[in-house]
Amino acid sequence: MQASRARLFKEYKEVQREKSADPDIQLVCDDSNIFKWTALIKGPSETPFEGGVFQLAFSVPEQYPLQPPQVRFLTKIFHPNVHFKTGEICLDILKNAWSPAWTLQSVCRAIIALMAHPEPDSPLNCDSGNLLRSGDIRGYQSMARMYTRLAAMPKKG
Amino acid sequence: MGSEDDVGNLIDVDSGDDDYDDGNSDIPMSSMNSDEEYDFITKDPADIDLLTSQRTQKDYTILKDEDIRRRQEDDIKKVASVLSVSRGAAIILLRRYNWRVSTVHEEWFADEEKVRNAVGLQENPPILQISPDEDVSCGICFESYSFPAGIRAAACGHPFCRTCWRGYICTAVNDGPGCLMLKCPDPSCNAAIGKDMIEDLVAPEYKEKYCRYLVRSYIEDSRNIKWCPAPECECAVEFVVGSGSSDVICSCSYGFCWKCSEEAHRPVDCDMVAEWILKNNAESENTNWILSYTKPCPKCKRPIEKNNGCMHMTCRTPCGFEFCWLCLGSWFEHGRRTGTCNDFRTEEERKFDESERREMARKSLVRYTHYYERWAANQSSREKARRDLHHMQAVQLVKLSEIQCQPETQLKFISDAWLQIVECRRVLKWTYAYGYYLPENEDTKRRFFEYLQGQAETGLERLHMCVEKELNTYLEAAEPSNDFNDFRAKLTCLTGVTRNYFDNLVRAIENDLADVDSVGACSETSSKIADGSSNQ
Ligand SMILES: [Zn+2]
Ligand SMILES: [Zn+2]
Ligand SMILES: [Zn+2]
Ligand SMILES: [Zn+2]
Ligand SMILES: [Zn+2]
Ligand SMILES: [Zn+2]
Repeated sequence: MQASRARLFKEYKEVQREKSADPDIQLVCDDSNIFKWTALIKGPSETPFEGGVFQLAFSVPEQYPLQPPQVRFLTKIFHPNVHFKTGEICLDILKNAWSPAWTLQSVCRAIIALMAHPEPDSPLNCDSGNLLRSGDIRGYQSMARMYTRLAAMPKKG
Repeated sequence: MGSEDDVGNLIDVDSGDDDYDDGNSDIPMSSMNSDEEYDFITKDPADIDLLTSQRTQKDYTILKDEDIRRRQEDDIKKVASVLSVSRGAAIILLRRYNWRVSTVHEEWFADEEKVRNAVGLQENPPILQISPDEDVSCGICFESYSFPAGIRAAACGHPFCRTCWRGYICTAVNDGPGCLMLKCPDPSCNAAIGKDMIEDLVAPEYKEKYCRYLVRSYIEDSRNIKWCPAPECECAVEFVVGSGSSDVICSCSYGFCWKCSEEAHRPVDCDMVAEWILKNNAESENTNWILSYTKPCPKCKRPIEKNNGCMHMTCRTPCGFEFCWLCLGSWFEHGRRTGTCNDFRTEEERKFDESERREMARKSLVRYTHYYERWAANQSSREKARRDLHHMQAVQLVKLSEIQCQPETQLKFISDAWLQIVECRRVLKWTYAYGYYLPENEDTKRRFFEYLQGQAETGLERLHMCVEKELNTYLEAAEPSNDFNDFRAKLTCLTGVTRNYFDNLVRAIENDLADVDSVGACSETSSKIADGSSNQ
């Protein structure tokens, strides 16, 4: 508990110090609980998520960083490896390939990379996975873009 | 529920008329002699396995924990010295190639660089060159530590503090055998973390856990060694592939089939066993009721609980009705026919008279139930016999020795009887699976099979009842019984007779009932031998 708190505090200070280091990621610690974080990540360019801003919720276990944080999308996203309803993410580094050398910041980076390079063979969103596996790239992209516009872009007017 | 049938009555049962009454004996008459009886036991391969102390020829070796660790240690030393690498590196290499020393040598000398890269034993200079007394930041907790006091790194040089290393390794060890393939915590680094580093960093309990995984992998990666499947047993068995029988008896006395790991199932083959188990699972809803341990007495309808191993039931007073647990028929009716109630059709006819079972309309289910019930009853009877055997050896033997003034060494015939029962229940159990799969149109074979099975079953029930019920008389006696030697002779003889019946049955099934002609061989002999015993 003390070790995880100390480590999170270091990450917090690092985030404060390097605020503009990665313009695609904005990590915010909960005001009252250092084990709860949210992040705003920008959809990577040249993907159907470009132009969208996606919110992630982090729940950090007491064994952190020996155990991975739990992360899910709060913003709706149409992606094979993200559960459409719950926002749960299927990503190896959040499970068996976790290393304690990862940080919340690097997890965000890995999620951005996953958005650009979906893994249709381990789908949490079958509709999305099937489109990709059947080679219907355009179908996948238009669906994903539609949901990006609906859910991840600031409403105008 | 104990009943005291006298020998004569039981043996008469067998001399009744039967269908195959014309053969010659292939059982040596000398087996009536109790001294040669023991001699006979030691020569029979099945019994050599049965009586583990007398095992002479084996196709397998039982490995105890210390044997496994010693062999593993030898292999590690061999690889470490031939390749001139550390013990830790040798373990990583052996693990990678399933503990096959020769493969490690071949691969290594063919392309050392490739092997090193594959397992994370690169010889590159460390990524981080740390000079002594320099402050280094740990890659996990991000705190600064002075080197080398607080910081450690694998060959790659990625620095982590001792506390974080400990946490990293312990987490991996708790997560399971994956800890044997542990890598540097840096996500981009492939460097292997070996046993040497782990032993240096964590508490003894984790070291021991790691070592247990290491021992387990030695067995589980190997093609010719398997764990004994008995739940409490920690032995492994090394099998000489290509040797005859695949039945293995572990030193814990559990017998299993090397090929399919199911409990030993001679004389039926692995495929039939697998099919039978699958069938039982599929039918489990229909068959659960079969396994209940109470049935109504067929005469007075009071519930009777089965707590003995043999199938001969005696209702409580005043009813006292004696019946067969399996078919619920009168035990004496039973005896007048050849064998017991193993023959399916006779029972089927009877069953259809009973209104309580009429709802089992589907004929196939009735047929399956017949065989399943007998299979399961023999299974539980076998378990009971095993418990009785242990109880006898642990408790009763001493008592009996005192009461009857017999040295314990001279009471071995009782253990032999129990061992024979345990083995026979096993064989009998599987012959019911065999009977189920025996094509219904193979009439001659079926008659032959049911005849042999019936003979064997009758013999076994007699033996089981003798040791289960008659023995009590001698255990409860106030002083040495005059007829104890008669009991010894009778039980010894019944053991031998039963073994011969089962040998015939096993041989016939393993021959796929090809020798239908040699029928009858056993029937006449058995009554002779049985009569012999009753006259002694
Ligand atoms: Zn490393
Ligand atoms: Zn540290
Ligand atoms: Zn064992
Ligand atoms: Zn088998
Ligand atoms: Zn009754
Ligand atoms: Zn019966």
